[in-house]
Amino acid sequence: MIEMVRRYLRQKYGSVGFSLALGILAIIETFTFANGGGRGGFVVVHWGIFLLAAGSVSRDVSSGALQMILSRPIRRTEYLFGRYLGILASYGLFLMATSAAIFLVVRLTSGPAREEASLASLALLAGDAFLDGAFQAAILLMFSTFLPGIADLLGLLVLFLVLHLPPWNRTWLRNASDAAKDNLLPQVSWNEALRGDGILGAATGRWVFALTVYLVVAALIFSRRELPYGQD
Amino acid sequence: MIAVAGVSKAFGRFGARRVQALDSVSLEVRRGETLGLIGPNGAGKTTLLSCLLGFLKPDRGTITVDGKTPDDLSVRARTGYLPERLGFDRDLPGRAFLAFHWRLAGGARALAHAGVEAAADRVGLERSALARPLRGYSRGMLQRIGLAQALLRDPEFLFLDEPASGTDPRGVALVRERILEAKARGATIVLNSHQLAEVEKVCDRVVFIESGRLTRSETLRGDRATRRRGLVRVPPALLENAAAILAAEQLGPAGDPPGSLRFAVGSDDDMARAVRALALADVPVYEARVSAELEELFSESGP
Repeated sequence: MIEMVRRYLRQKYGSVGFSLALGILAIIETFTFANGGGRGGFVVVHWGIFLLAAGSVSRDVSSGALQMILSRPIRRTEYLFGRYLGILASYGLFLMATSAAIFLVVRLTSGPAREEASLASLALLAGDAFLDGAFQAAILLMFSTFLPGIADLLGLLVLFLVLHLPPWNRTWLRNASDAAKDNLLPQVSWNEALRGDGILGAATGRWVFALTVYLVVAALIFSRRELPYGQD
Repeated sequence: MIAVAGVSKAFGRFGARRVQALDSVSLEVRRGETLGLIGPNGAGKTTLLSCLLGFLKPDRGTITVDGKTPDDLSVRARTGYLPERLGFDRDLPGRAFLAFHWRLAGGARALAHAGVEAAADRVGLERSALARPLRGYSRGMLQRIGLAQALLRDPEFLFLDEPASGTDPRGVALVRERILEAKARGATIVLNSHQLAEVEKVCDRVVFIESGRLTRSETLRGDRATRRRGLVRVPPALLENAAAILAAEQLGPAGDPPGSLRFAVGSDDDMARAVRALALADVPVYEARVSAELEELFSESGP
């Protein structure tokens, strides 16, 4: 699995286009902080997860790289969770680099007075963004196991829209919709949870449950999926 | 041994969109045998190869490799696969690509460097090329590095999909040498190729696939060869005389191309006998060869 993680990091950070796009996001976030923003947390770096996770499996399927990998003694689940860990590792690195850049730039421009740009605050913000990203990456990974190209992004958008439809007229429908939303897209205040406030609460429990569901569904779909390649 | 029993595979579910890619295909590839898959585009060859590798699951029938399913990890640990088009990470340097597959194939990390360089040498890839990203490789270079990847750690089972496609004549010869080398060490090889002359040079047996069906099987080598033709070219003025000499040697004609005589050959001794008889009768032999003439077979099997 470690080979899969290494490959993912190499794929993303070895590509000039990806590195440039991530660099631009980091610069925008840094400037936001340097200009007095950032009190509400990271805003722009969240987009990094979409750059890093979109098409994580489907691109390997269409290029034929996956078939070459799976001709080796590698389990499909090993490949899949290697991809997921690769996404998390690359996103974690991105967040760490961005936080370090913010810390240095704000220190140089505003001095040590800015509380929201202290190391502790930035670590909390990065942790918040990382856990949100980990959740979105699991959904994208699930969609990527059966949708082509970067249609996993569309899948995520559709899931979000369906679960946020206007309130239903009928009570039982509204209740079902709310329950689905709470359990499939649970909202967790990570900033508080990471400070130890409600870390073992219902919201984090639902988050863990939903994350597990997405990853298990991804593994089930992917282990049964056929991988046609080439032309007869 | 690879055993395929009654395998059918269709794509699409309904009506006109449904394509029967494989229809009750049964065959066996014995240990150490090299089998060629021959057929027109769209015949089902790559689908069969994908089933043999476990990428696709047959709708009906079974496939076993040494008694196990194709996606069994112990089978995969002994498998090498070269796809028709190498679609791997374009930004990855050749060395990293081979090292990645070396490690996936179970190679020791400490030996990866030496293993990768040895693999590159075997396919004639320069060391300097290994430092370049795959995006800078020509088609021929991609085929070479793909072949190097497939041959890493000397697999027992080799599945090659158009291995010489896009390569120059030197590359074609190199692919042939590597296949013969793998064959000499006892590898079981399934080769899908349109380069019939090359198929004939390396394969022990060929099967023809058409519209998903296995239509014909010919053994090209050994005592049980079913398809061997001898061809001698002699001066046109002596053709009739030469034909009479061959008939006396009980080497019957098998459709003569202009200026030549063709006859069925059971073994190499038959050809030696033919040449000797002609030489003793003072008929100059300009050319003599034994061939399976797969191209002709391919034309015969077409629509």
